[in-house]
Amino acid sequence: MNQSLKLKELTAFIADYASVLLGSGVHCTRVVRNSRRICEAYDMEVSMMILASSIILTLVDPQTEEICTEVVPIHQLPVSFELNSELSALSWKVHDRHESVADLRREFKALCDKPRMNSWLVTLLVSVANACFCRLFDGDWKGMLVVFFSTFVGFRLLRWLKKKGVDHFLAVILVSFVSSFLASFMLCFSQVDATIAVATSVLFMIPGVPMITGVIDIIENHILIGFARLMRALLIVLCLAVGLSISMVIFQGSLL
Amino acid sequence: MIEETLIRAVCAAFAALGFGAVSNPSRKSLPGIMILAAVGYAVRYVLMQLAGWDIATSTLAAALLMGFGSLWLGSVVHCPMTTLYIPALLPMVPGMYAYKAVFSIILFMQNLGTQAEAFLYLNNFFLNVIITVTVILCMTVGASLPMFILSRRATSLTRYRNRKKDRTDIGA
Repeated sequence: MNQSLKLKELTAFIADYASVLLGSGVHCTRVVRNSRRICEAYDMEVSMMILASSIILTLVDPQTEEICTEVVPIHQLPVSFELNSELSALSWKVHDRHESVADLRREFKALCDKPRMNSWLVTLLVSVANACFCRLFDGDWKGMLVVFFSTFVGFRLLRWLKKKGVDHFLAVILVSFVSSFLASFMLCFSQVDATIAVATSVLFMIPGVPMITGVIDIIENHILIGFARLMRALLIVLCLAVGLSISMVIFQGSLL
Repeated sequence: MIEETLIRAVCAAFAALGFGAVSNPSRKSLPGIMILAAVGYAVRYVLMQLAGWDIATSTLAAALLMGFGSLWLGSVVHCPMTTLYIPALLPMVPGMYAYKAVFSIILFMQNLGTQAEAFLYLNNFFLNVIITVTVILCMTVGASLPMFILSRRATSLTRYRNRKKDRTDIGA
């Protein structure tokens, strides 16, 4: 293959590869390392500049000293640990077996198109998880049951709102309101302390993954994207509190 | 105490499984995530209840253990460390403190007229923010430390190699 064409083809591939990885919540160092590993397999060198919403990358062919630069946006994709794992494995596969760029592209597409876990199964698991979370915060079995039900309804609503293309922050406020409203409604006639159950009913939306990944990025000197991830997580927590406070105002007359 | 620790460990395992499921983990990593979460949470709970350690130090110790555990489990199931320890850490994310911190701001704004109550909520805000930030830092640093100590091993967990062939190559 023409060396110049190969450089262009590889640059386009690395741009897509890095964009998908970053959009899926992978920390920067892994993205840079994997991209470098793939480029080394084709005797190319890569330099990357990662920003919160885009990547600027330059590939250099040391033989011809030709340079190719591309700017690619990072699309917000759902976090996927499977994609993280499989795409890392793909970079090692290329490194060890030297496949053609076309084969690499084909495998990449197949991995990206792989179906995610069944939506109803995820809803069930999240509901059980949040009920267990209620127990970890010293909630009783009645509270756990209420949290399970309100999480189930809330998570389905979140999925539906996302499908309809509603803004993520607005969706979090709405879901937080509905989940806490349901939990408050179910507990308002009982004598038990509802505080733990109501507060836990919205915690399934706490952005734990961006919080941890953001700190990893900061530790590994990718300060900008680290702070961007933490700020997004903070905004989501803020939205949670807003939704919850609306239902508390309805049920208790005041936030106290 | 033992019974309560076991109940909490099981709850943490299912919490990690459920919250991890949102992030689409690979099926082969699920048992590892549950084991790490159960052990990590139990260790933190025991350190806090029996040894009397504070939440930050016990989280750091538990996260360190989970980091080394994920390194070992990662080499068994060929998954990056982060795909194992991030979901396992989720039950330890101080979500309640983060929520209380934001909630304190709202309450503070509602009680600006009453100075004593406003100061109480301001105090609560700083208390919860400090706990949230410290715990998140401790758990991330603790779990990531093995990645820095054994970086060569940590970065090649997803490499499928014909080990027999490699050994022959080295021998040759």
